[in-house]
Amino acid sequence: MSPEGHSHPTPGQYWKIAAFLAAVTAAEVAMFYIDRQLELGFLNAAILILLSAVKFIVVVGWFMHVRFEKPLINRFFTAGFVLACSLYLVVLAALGVVAIRG
Amino acid sequence: MSDVAHEAPVAHHEEHESTGIENRKLGMWVFLSSEFLFFGALITNYLLYSNRGGFEGVYPSEIYDIPFTSVSSFVLLMSSLTMVLAHHALSRHDQNGARTWLFATAALGSVFLGGQVFEFYEFISVYDMTLSTNPAASAFYLLTGFHGTHVAIGVIMLLSLWGISRRQGGLSERQGLNLELVGLYWHFVDIIWIVIFTVVYLLSVPPL
Repeated sequence: MSPEGHSHPTPGQYWKIAAFLAAVTAAEVAMFYIDRQLELGFLNAAILILLSAVKFIVVVGWFMHVRFEKPLINRFFTAGFVLACSLYLVVLAALGVVAIRG
Repeated sequence: MSDVAHEAPVAHHEEHESTGIENRKLGMWVFLSSEFLFFGALITNYLLYSNRGGFEGVYPSEIYDIPFTSVSSFVLLMSSLTMVLAHHALSRHDQNGARTWLFATAALGSVFLGGQVFEFYEFISVYDMTLSTNPAASAFYLLTGFHGTHVAIGVIMLLSLWGISRRQGGLSERQGLNLELVGLYWHFVDIIWIVIFTVVYLLSVPPL
């Protein structure tokens, strides 16, 4: 039981989560090859980023137990992530990389 | 001095009562949070130079072996599963199970590292792409090299915990917290690779 009162997943649930993550990774690789054939461009980038975000959230939420921890931990972690993303997106935009790649 | 030493355990107890979270655990979360800035800088550096043309030599995006890197990514992802199973086993006082899953995690981490060494070796020996070939190559080696260093440090910590557990016949409560902290670090290394795999490999753009 976590400090917040939620039950942690069982080993069986961890295996299911891992299978889901493996399936998402397979979908990512499939998207890479589909894009080579169909040249989806922005749509490919959007789908890959979305799939990557799903994996990220699942690992942080279930494997790192952020879902079951105290909110303070969630806030620290999210603050670092949001700060880093914001800072470097501004840098990339300022240097024209986002426009060049987009 | 002796009074301070005598009172230390009480002070320690009060410290982690103030937030309701063990100080070392909170410290690890703050450290991991700051690591986003570190890896963010390296990923940004790569994005700035990955497709900037006008330089001699092979660009990383021209020689990526996606099937090979996909398998490496899968291995690292599965090491997160074995890590969480080690943590779960210890929480159930299953010392043998925890030790087995710890070793499995270290083994999978080592396989990932071996794959990275092989990739670097191939890029250097077959394609002659070294650290100084062009800015894109430098940025690629810097980013993946630092990530690999983090994985290597994680493997060392995992094997240390495995060794302690093997020697003592199990992990104490305090060492159990160490396992949780190493686990957090290990999962973090995994999520950074999730980002690198997508941004660097799957969304690679040929040089302009």
